[in-house]
Amino acid sequence: MPKWFQPAAIVCALMFAATPIVIANAPFESTMGLVFKIFFYHMPSAWMFLLGGILCGIASLRYLINGAARHDRTAFAAAELTVLFGLLTLVTGPLWARKAWGTWWVWDVRVTASLVSWMIAVAYLILRRYGGPGSEKLAAGLALFGMANVPFIYVSVNYWRTIHPATSVVPTLPVSMGGPLWFCVASFLMLFILLFTMRVRLEEQRARLDAVYLSLDE
Amino acid sequence: MLSIFLWMNNVLTAIRRRAALLLVALLCWGVLPAVAAQQPPQEQPKKFDEYVPASQLPPAEQIPAARLVVGAYSFVIVVVFLYMVSVARRLNTVQHEVARLEADVKRTGRS
Repeated sequence: MPKWFQPAAIVCALMFAATPIVIANAPFESTMGLVFKIFFYHMPSAWMFLLGGILCGIASLRYLINGAARHDRTAFAAAELTVLFGLLTLVTGPLWARKAWGTWWVWDVRVTASLVSWMIAVAYLILRRYGGPGSEKLAAGLALFGMANVPFIYVSVNYWRTIHPATSVVPTLPVSMGGPLWFCVASFLMLFILLFTMRVRLEEQRARLDAVYLSLDE
Repeated sequence: MLSIFLWMNNVLTAIRRRAALLLVALLCWGVLPAVAAQQPPQEQPKKFDEYVPASQLPPAEQIPAARLVVGAYSFVIVVVFLYMVSVARRLNTVQHEVARLEADVKRTGRS
């Protein structure tokens, strides 16, 4: 692991320990009340979900272009994080919607597109796990579709009729709400970087293990 | 004489009628409101077409926000923790395997 990993992990743990206090001190939103507090974990999770999709797509594209195995490892690690943060987004969202919208789920364009993107990431992992030799390139192609869906997810609320909050909400938040939100975003981003580093390291070690086995067979 | 008798009879009848009317009026004015006051008040029909703030809804119709918030935060923390443990365990296993194999390679002198 790199030298910065342990100090960063300690800082990340402290930041996550502070998030409940920071969120508790944030004011209540006037119409939604207490349930709005889910937003402080839901939105950073959603952003990390989209970041994972973009990383996986870019790494897959580079792998398809030059065939370097390290890009494939990066894409694999990013796909797993996309599934993780997508799961967090797709579970915390309905918990919020139950109170705010009166229903667990709506086939709204952003919600549906997020589910599709998450299913593409799950399909990527299944393909890598059970696809056999050569599945790396198939999976990389799939990841490109996942990445293409990301901007669509982001801007969909501005172009389609929807009950999901638009992208204009975050920039217009007052400092008392925006401060805690950006603190949570920083915490989740740090968590994402740490998990991504661990996951890439795991893939590197697996590649090394394969190399050692190959050398023993020769 | 007969005419005087008939006149008095008419006067008495008129007095009796007015007394009866007065009695009925008194009853209407005093007794009926008292009786009405003793009757249970009629329930007003519920107005479902008007806005009712969520805080004024009966408890059975309210959605508890605290449970949803706690559920969301708990889910995030538990899932992230389990994933970290999973990656750490997988990484540990692979690193041990690599170290063991590399030691074997060195011991046997194979490159």
